[in-house]
Amino acid sequence: MSAILETRNLGRNLPGDPPIVLVRDVNVTIEPGAFTTIVGPSGCGKSSLLYLLGLIDRPTTGELLVEGREVSQLSGDERARIRLARFGFVFQFHFLLPEFSALENVMLPIQRLGRLPIAQAREQALGLLAGVGLEDKHGKTPDRLSGGERQRVAIARALANDPILILGDEPTGNLDSHNSARVVETLHALAHEQGRAVACVTHDPGIAEASDVQIEMLDGRVENVIDRRPAKPQGLLGREPSAD
Amino acid sequence: MIGRTRFLVGIALRHLSRRRRQTAVAVSGVAVGVGFFLAVSALMVGSQNDFIEQLIDAAPHIVISDELRSPSPQPGERVFGDGAMELHGYKVRTEVRGIKDWQAVMAAANAVPGAIASPSLTGGVTLRLGGHDEAIGIVGVEPEIETEISTIEDQLREGRLRDLETTQGGIIIGEDLARRLGVRVGDIVAATSSTSSGRSMRVVGLFKKGQSQLSSGTGYVLLREAQSLLGRPFIINRIGVRLADPYAAEAVAKTLETRFGYKAESWQERSADFLSLLVTRNVIMYSVVSAILLVASFGIYTVVSNSVSDKRRDIAIMRSIGFSEGDLQFIFVVEGLILSLIGVLCGWLLGYILMSILGSLAFPIGGEIERIPLDRSPRQYAVAATASFLAGAIAAWLPARKASRVDPVDILRGAV
Repeated sequence: MSAILETRNLGRNLPGDPPIVLVRDVNVTIEPGAFTTIVGPSGCGKSSLLYLLGLIDRPTTGELLVEGREVSQLSGDERARIRLARFGFVFQFHFLLPEFSALENVMLPIQRLGRLPIAQAREQALGLLAGVGLEDKHGKTPDRLSGGERQRVAIARALANDPILILGDEPTGNLDSHNSARVVETLHALAHEQGRAVACVTHDPGIAEASDVQIEMLDGRVENVIDRRPAKPQGLLGREPSAD
Repeated sequence: MIGRTRFLVGIALRHLSRRRRQTAVAVSGVAVGVGFFLAVSALMVGSQNDFIEQLIDAAPHIVISDELRSPSPQPGERVFGDGAMELHGYKVRTEVRGIKDWQAVMAAANAVPGAIASPSLTGGVTLRLGGHDEAIGIVGVEPEIETEISTIEDQLREGRLRDLETTQGGIIIGEDLARRLGVRVGDIVAATSSTSSGRSMRVVGLFKKGQSQLSSGTGYVLLREAQSLLGRPFIINRIGVRLADPYAAEAVAKTLETRFGYKAESWQERSADFLSLLVTRNVIMYSVVSAILLVASFGIYTVVSNSVSDKRRDIAIMRSIGFSEGDLQFIFVVEGLILSLIGVLCGWLLGYILMSILGSLAFPIGGEIERIPLDRSPRQYAVAATASFLAGAIAAWLPARKASRVDPVDILRGAV
């Protein structure tokens, strides 16, 4: 199974005397088709790890490979390009731009990537909003949407450029149980039905236990990785049964 | 690339549309700055142009006189110029004043394309009427040529310069002088000079009041009349030259002076002190109006700076989505430029209105209706716009740079 993300002794320190260690010696892989959760007590470095994985932050030590390519030394613009074209983010707070309607928010990454003419970008964004059940509310600005609706718009935006990896920072942290279940359901579908990689930081034990891979962190270190996926023959891909 | 630019400009516009009041204030700041810049510089440049025009036209562009800039060299100096010698107390040969071989000088001046040279003789005479004496300078001219090189014709209240040709012993004097002597057009006065016996002259024209020199102390007569009155037949001591391009005067004057040795004074040399005064005036004007524009750009700085601080969270979101640092900087610089653009357009309108108001004002001066000279050339508009855009771009760039340096991790981590 080729990993989308792979870390090798990844670490992140804040300058200081002594340096403050946020993340140290992390060796994990994030794979397509799997719903991965990162759990641990507050301050254990799980969000810091997520920002490193999402190329929002730069590691101070170790390597980070995106689809086999070392990216931690790339320029800011190249990293932004990877985030734009390959990754999608969902945060605890919806983080929609307040001046833009739901549709425009979803269109932002598509337009920034600039591969589609505006009419097609609009078409695609409407499709994504329909996917999260909000096609009839596409003209509303975030302040006219409920918390659950905003988070669904945020998910639609994260999917705008058809990313291979969706990263969530407590995506259900601010939602009631009903909306929370709906968001988790969507994330599972993204991984299992569409074959994307999904990695989420969460506090919710229910979500963690339902995930395929559970990365447990403590004091900036990965303590344990639980893989609940049914064991597969080594090196075998679903579509290539005899690759080995 | 164009698509991306348009997209980012769209985001900038959206930001501005949500802070209308601040936008309006910043835009009016720029508009007032640009408007007053236009009005003030139109006034200053207009009056300057008017002033220079008057300087140019007040007298011929070049005046060649029979003066020398340095005394003519003595024979001893001519021969032993490089030797060690000193001459003083020598007896100088008395030379007849006047421009020698003036026909050649005239020919040389006329040879310059578009140039017209007019010879004249000046000297002092006394006008006398019924025991009242007035010492004046008279100028003997060829009326036909003189009218072409000077604006003297415009200064006449009564009569024309050509009338000198048709009236035996005609003279044109100023209104003030005529009043002091108690004469009118058609009256006869007696004129005497130190070198000739007196003769009577008939007043054929009057110069307007106001031009004090012309009006009270000068009389115009025919050249040959002046030559006989001053007892200097065939002599002239002044050649006025008018050029097609007044700004070539300095160069032409220099050539003529080098060639003939006589002092040839261009209008620039004649009015050097005025011209240096204009430079000072321009420095003052441009410092003041630039200060207006600079202050206006503070408004832009405030709006963009506020926009950046208010939008730190949005900046972090856009960065996480995949907008580059350059994108963010571009968005906020564009906000400043949009403010400048609207401000400049409003300012152009304001400036146009101010200029129209100034241009419609009329003042009666010396019995004539005078309007304020204004320079309404597009150049002023372009200068004002360029300066505002420059100031606006810098004012926006400073906070925009800050926007691009926002670390998304700090914001996302501490998000509220």
